[in-house]
Amino acid sequence: MTGSRAVVLSLVASSLASLGLVALYVIGGNPQAEGILLGLALGGLGAAFVIWSITLLDAPVEVEERHPLRSDGAKPSTAEAREAGDVTRRTFLTRLLLGAGGLLAAALAIPVLSLGPQPGRSLFRTAWSAGARLAGPDGAPIRPDDLVLDSVRTVFPQDRVGTADAATLLIRVRPEDLRLPAERAAWAPGGVIGYSKICTHAGCPVGLYRAQDHALLCPCHQSTFDVLEGARPTSGPAARPLPQLPITVDEEGYLVAMSDFPEPIGPSFWDVTHDA
Amino acid sequence: MRALGILGILLFAIGAAALGMRQTAAAPQRPGDAAAGGRLYAASCASCHGAEGGGGELGPSLQGVGAAALDFQLRTGRMPYAQGPGQQALRKPPAFDPQQIADLVAYLAGGVAAGGPEIPAVDVKDDLLSRGQKLFVANCAPCHGATGSGGAVGGGALAPSLDRSQPVVVAEAMVIGPGQMPVFRLADEDRNAVVTYVDYLRTAATPGGFSIGSIGPVPEGLVGWLVGMGLMTLIAFLIGRDWGTGE
Repeated sequence: MTGSRAVVLSLVASSLASLGLVALYVIGGNPQAEGILLGLALGGLGAAFVIWSITLLDAPVEVEERHPLRSDGAKPSTAEAREAGDVTRRTFLTRLLLGAGGLLAAALAIPVLSLGPQPGRSLFRTAWSAGARLAGPDGAPIRPDDLVLDSVRTVFPQDRVGTADAATLLIRVRPEDLRLPAERAAWAPGGVIGYSKICTHAGCPVGLYRAQDHALLCPCHQSTFDVLEGARPTSGPAARPLPQLPITVDEEGYLVAMSDFPEPIGPSFWDVTHDA
Repeated sequence: MRALGILGILLFAIGAAALGMRQTAAAPQRPGDAAAGGRLYAASCASCHGAEGGGGELGPSLQGVGAAALDFQLRTGRMPYAQGPGQQALRKPPAFDPQQIADLVAYLAGGVAAGGPEIPAVDVKDDLLSRGQKLFVANCAPCHGATGSGGAVGGGALAPSLDRSQPVVVAEAMVIGPGQMPVFRLADEDRNAVVTYVDYLRTAATPGGFSIGSIGPVPEGLVGWLVGMGLMTLIAFLIGRDWGTGE
């Protein structure tokens, strides 16, 4: 097989793999097959470059023994002939190369179509709603006295147990120790206080509670929050307090939410303060 | 042949030790002698906690702390306290033998420390293992790590490794929340499940080979870098070496 034919085959294989990548992506995708096709697309280009450079470019000068040739003046010199043929072949190969590269670029650009839909209001609300009972992972509702002093529990809305963005850390502290803003004074009945468990820095679960200094620590980047002061960040990269869940006790004595979190939970984002 | 024999003896000893660990874990409580405990208290504890257990400059009051807290602090060697002022009490070999601990607990829990949580009964039951794993991951793993190997919890505090924690100690810690640890008052069955899982973590086999402390990616990465990269460097060196093939 000549060098130029091998280059053509490599570029055609690369193009077919790119087309296959696009087709596979559009019909639903399969990561392993996509990986193989991407490997073929890139590998075909690479093989073409290597073969091209070895066989077609700057060939080593070889001096062959031959009998003297008689020039009759009418025939073009061998050098001119080779050049004339080369121009056609080079043009063809260059176009093929541009085609293969373009197809690969298209295959890599297609996933842009997967972006969206826009999150809309979903970043501003969670599964909590007014009157939702607080429940442990087993779904059982909780009374304030189920939590002794210095105990910690992860709770969810009773009808949406396990919903990730609703995970709330319930902590019992001495009510007289709390230093909450005045408008939140009624949000922690009997010293039972609830904060979103999702860190406002990078969204890790803030699950480490130091009972003696009433500090919540995020294990990912050591953001520390003061439980007594409305989860104000005292150390680490988090810039916003953990949102506090307004809690009260219903007529049957169970802990219920008064509303959803008053602000978005989790990592901050553009417009986090513009609740339109 | 001789090496094989020694290996066999070694394996047998390790197995016996592992079995022994599980058995001592379930040793029953001895009845304590309050009078003997009172004498021990006066000699070893009163200088910090006060003659009546009401606390002093160096030690907190023992009023109403309960038998579980007393047993936990003495059994894990955290008391008598040996760290600098204000520092976290750390586990060390207990200063008293089990009988003396029972005596001290009987003396204090029958007097000034009465009213707190009792030493919880523990029951390590293998059929609770799966439930214990779920509870452990949800409640304990954030601080003590997924394998119970412990870790820093910020503010200079340390969640200790659970590798030497007897079942009753685990149960006591959950009930009392010693030091910076929060209280986890779970139902009896759930507490036994957690205790069972911690006991499993301590004694579980590591079929993958060395657990390297079970503390995760840092030691594993270290081994990967030192051994893996070392091997690759060696191979690269061997490839590049002049093998004297005559060129």
